[in-house]
Amino acid sequence: MKSIPLREDDGALEKRMQNRPTGFGDPWLQLALSVACVLVSEFLLKRGATEVADPGSAWSWTGVNGLASPLVWWAILLIIASFVSWLYVLRYIPITVAFPLSRVVDILVPLGCWIFLGELISPLRWCGIALVVIGLALVAKPIAQIEERL
Amino acid sequence: MSFLAFFFIVVSLVSFVAAQLILKRAMAATTTTGFRSAQFVSKVAGGIILMTISFFLTLGLLQRFDLSYLYPFQGLSVIFITLMAAVVLKEKLNTQLAIGALLISVGIVLVSMS
Repeated sequence: MKSIPLREDDGALEKRMQNRPTGFGDPWLQLALSVACVLVSEFLLKRGATEVADPGSAWSWTGVNGLASPLVWWAILLIIASFVSWLYVLRYIPITVAFPLSRVVDILVPLGCWIFLGELISPLRWCGIALVVIGLALVAKPIAQIEERL
Repeated sequence: MSFLAFFFIVVSLVSFVAAQLILKRAMAATTTTGFRSAQFVSKVAGGIILMTISFFLTLGLLQRFDLSYLYPFQGLSVIFITLMAAVVLKEKLNTQLAIGALLISVGIVLVSMS
């Protein structure tokens, strides 16, 4: 396949992957933790922002009035936790791989609603979920091959 | 959607993408310069400021629009960050990665539209 010229070639990436920490410091585990924190914070933000919404206020476009909600503060704590994990992930994994993988959160929300809340998923939404899953597989495959070699 | 809403969505998206690229560059530099260099601190600070701007703009937008309405725009960040990382950070981007990122973006748009 044709590639754009590299700064970090496969060998360098493989070496960095080989030297990555294990256990709690494993960047893949940190990526999963980051995604989990973002997932919960999305729900908290929407609920918190809605309960204190004041569209008439001139400052409401900035979202600052959302800080009046305790749920927003819980969401901020989770966002900070996910941010720290994310910075750690960026140290070891290329952003062209890490960021697309982190968007698994976008299908976890509807899937969670389907599994735990019994909500129906429309055919179009299933198509979207399928596309995201195929995309994730394409992005993750080269990394999985490196992992297999290690 | 008013022009003002579109403007804030674009500013939120651009600041988010720029923040991610700056943070990646900052963290990549830690392997050689460590965490105490002025370069690292200034880049992380810049990234955090941009992410904060994006966060509050998103919060303001959430007060006016449903999460499902705003999600397609968040989906676009996948393809933007992937392409910009290849151009700005010179990260490896082969056809497989590009197609994967594109499918994820389109998939997120479909999930939020339906």
